[in-house]
Amino acid sequence: MFKRIAIVLLGLGLIVTMTAAVMAADMGNERKGKFLFRKNCRACHQDGQSAPALNPDSKTQAQWERIFEKNKYEDFECSAEWTKLSEDDLKDILAYVHGHAFDSPSPAKCK
Amino acid sequence: MSSSNINRPISRRNFLKWSGAAATAATVGGQPRVLHALTAAEGAAAGEDTAEKVFSICDMCLNKCGLIARVEDGVVAKLDPNPKFLKSRGMLCARGNAGIAQLYDPDRLKYPLLRKGKRGEGKWQRVSWEQALDYAAEKLAAIADQYTRCGVLFSPGSDTQSQFVHRFASVFGSWNVVTHESNCLISRNRAYLDTFGEVPFADVLHSKYIVMAGANRFEALITPDSIDLMTARKNGQKLVVLDPRYTKTAALADEWYPVRPGTDLAFFLALAHVIINEKLYDADYAAEKLSGMEELTAHVQPYTPEWAEKETEIPARHIRRIARELAAAAPASMIYPGRRTSDYVNSTQIRRAMAIVNALLGNWDQPGGLLAARQVGLSSPSLPDAPWYDDNMMERADHGRAHMMFEEEGSFKHMRDAIIEGEPYPVKGWFVYKMNPLQSGANQAKTLQMIEKLDFMMSVDIAMSDTAWMSDLVLPAPSYLERLDPISGLQGSAACACVATRVPAVPALFESRPVLWILKELANRLDLGEYFDFDMEWYRKEQLKDLPDAEKALAEDGVYYNPSKLYGIYEGKIYRTKSKKIELHNVRYKEMGLDPIPVYTPPKPIPSDKFRLVLGRNAMFTHCTTNHNRLLNQFMSENTLWIHPDSADRLGIGDGDPVVVKSPVGRESLKAELKPGIRKDTVYMASGWGALSKGLSGVHNTGACVAALMEDYADALSGNMAMHETFVSVARKGAA
Repeated sequence: MFKRIAIVLLGLGLIVTMTAAVMAADMGNERKGKFLFRKNCRACHQDGQSAPALNPDSKTQAQWERIFEKNKYEDFECSAEWTKLSEDDLKDILAYVHGHAFDSPSPAKCK
Repeated sequence: MSSSNINRPISRRNFLKWSGAAATAATVGGQPRVLHALTAAEGAAAGEDTAEKVFSICDMCLNKCGLIARVEDGVVAKLDPNPKFLKSRGMLCARGNAGIAQLYDPDRLKYPLLRKGKRGEGKWQRVSWEQALDYAAEKLAAIADQYTRCGVLFSPGSDTQSQFVHRFASVFGSWNVVTHESNCLISRNRAYLDTFGEVPFADVLHSKYIVMAGANRFEALITPDSIDLMTARKNGQKLVVLDPRYTKTAALADEWYPVRPGTDLAFFLALAHVIINEKLYDADYAAEKLSGMEELTAHVQPYTPEWAEKETEIPARHIRRIARELAAAAPASMIYPGRRTSDYVNSTQIRRAMAIVNALLGNWDQPGGLLAARQVGLSSPSLPDAPWYDDNMMERADHGRAHMMFEEEGSFKHMRDAIIEGEPYPVKGWFVYKMNPLQSGANQAKTLQMIEKLDFMMSVDIAMSDTAWMSDLVLPAPSYLERLDPISGLQGSAACACVATRVPAVPALFESRPVLWILKELANRLDLGEYFDFDMEWYRKEQLKDLPDAEKALAEDGVYYNPSKLYGIYEGKIYRTKSKKIELHNVRYKEMGLDPIPVYTPPKPIPSDKFRLVLGRNAMFTHCTTNHNRLLNQFMSENTLWIHPDSADRLGIGDGDPVVVKSPVGRESLKAELKPGIRKDTVYMASGWGALSKGLSGVHNTGACVAALMEDYADALSGNMAMHETFVSVARKGAA
């Protein structure tokens, strides 16, 4: 999984100087990302469930980028869930949370 | 009509008269059951106070003011304000009182109607709900099969149940959702989000000094702002109004400037120039909270009051004085953010300039300034996630046509263009719930052109709007007085954060069905029933699950207040912007190649033989939906063309003369009304008239349709329709 993410990040590394909007677009498809986020993350990350509620606007764009780029998930309790996701899935989820992050043009909860 | 008539309960005589009128209206679709449905009042004994009182919230406009329906023998006899409803300050306006005439409107849609003739011909066949829903499901499925699920456009309206239309679109699999907002206020939202990271509420009540431009708050009513403005004025607040028309707000202001239309941006840049150059701002606040002060300081140097005077026709000495007075009253002073901002191609940048002056006043999150959203506390019921369809389009059809469009709102102008062009892909279906873009969207001819491109169009509404009139299938919805709705979470500026309830005062009349029921039935027919497997009672309980005291309060008072924090919400917190501060200089705009600080561009000059056409609201009508209301129509039974007497004289036009108004996209006729209180280069008419629909008695073929005259420009950033960019010629009828 780590290698697969590293490949993704290598790809992303080529565009780090580009605009945030373009960057978000190259991360993946945010519509698919919303579906995957709800399917894979929201089951636990919401009020009344086992993990703290998590929405795209829970973090800034930079925070989301760091989480995905630095493979922070390896320290998470749900790291096993992360490893089940494909590279494309991760790109899509990042596109969604990044596009609606706390400091994005359209901050949003996951409804 | 005197105002006392508004508060008079509907008399039995009038009630039955309306019923008779309803039977007459049967030519639209043959509606023989009106009398049957309305005769429940017959048993009432005279003088007996047997009225049941039902809490609800008004739906005659968007404000959701609290009311109590007095129900006598199964008939709503009167609507009273809910005295405990702080958002509306315990009042109900004329429109709110007239809600009873929406409920008992003879023009109401009464059962499903299927188009039999050509679109717009007005030939309908009454069908059963089974037939209607089977037909709709079949059509929606066929479009999804042939053009993908994004082949259907959804227009959910601004109703309490509109959220279910959004959900249906998501479950069905279409990204193509266009709300009313792109014909209204999205450029304001864009501007404030991109400055403060949030769209504010205005603390009108506690403000000492307000500059109002592009807003007419004493006629275009917003609660509690309109009421609070009056209260604050009595307490010594100063109000300065910029408007090319002498509106009622202008009439009650301390100062009115008939600004040259399209030049407000020059005025606000000049205000910023004075505040910065005279160091009238709080330097410590600026250092801590504002981002881009250095860039703004350099940017506004050319924008002197003397320069702005030439653009706006507002004397430089007044601009300078107003800037100083605003700063002296800060932070309890403001540039009022306004609502409808669908006016120019740079609407977002105009509102950005207004937001920047507010930032310089340091009024964010302060008494008398701009307020952040308070906590209301409603929960979002947990519903099954919408499915994913691999064989679907990946983007909205209007994607990329504006720099920073709102995904949830879209742009009616751009979506319509995309459908007409068939690019980037065909959109062939349209589901409309309580929206009337044929009257509210500029360039009606283009909307008709768009409709010609569709395979199927359906409307769910209370009455036969122009948009319903052009549909293939029309389904009757109940009015708000007949509905159990989701709980509403509301913020009433500084007045309150509250939750409010709407329960049926009377059962749904005729064969009308709430849109949630319609969507559930459609979902069942499209094998999507599992996503709508809930009812309204469950939904409301889920919404209130974290507010244990709310249910009791709603039952006793019709409203529950959350005593959440009002001021200082941002203390110790970062802003939702890229710089984490209030952005005078927008970092993201710069990255995108847009002007990071608004740059003034003069409006197109008005040709000497033409006028600029402007829109504006009045207190009687909402979004072209209440013009035919029997009570409100008595205040104003047709629209007129406001024109300055000198301009009229030049054209040989007298007061009340019939005139022809022509634009590059339309030609309309109406009566002239000579008004000294409008600029000589500007004309105005109210919207919602000249209806195509023969199902709207009193509005069909009465007055002129402003949507047919306006050209369809758009704000470059948000995609907001720009409705003040049209020039028209005016001539006396017969001389044209």
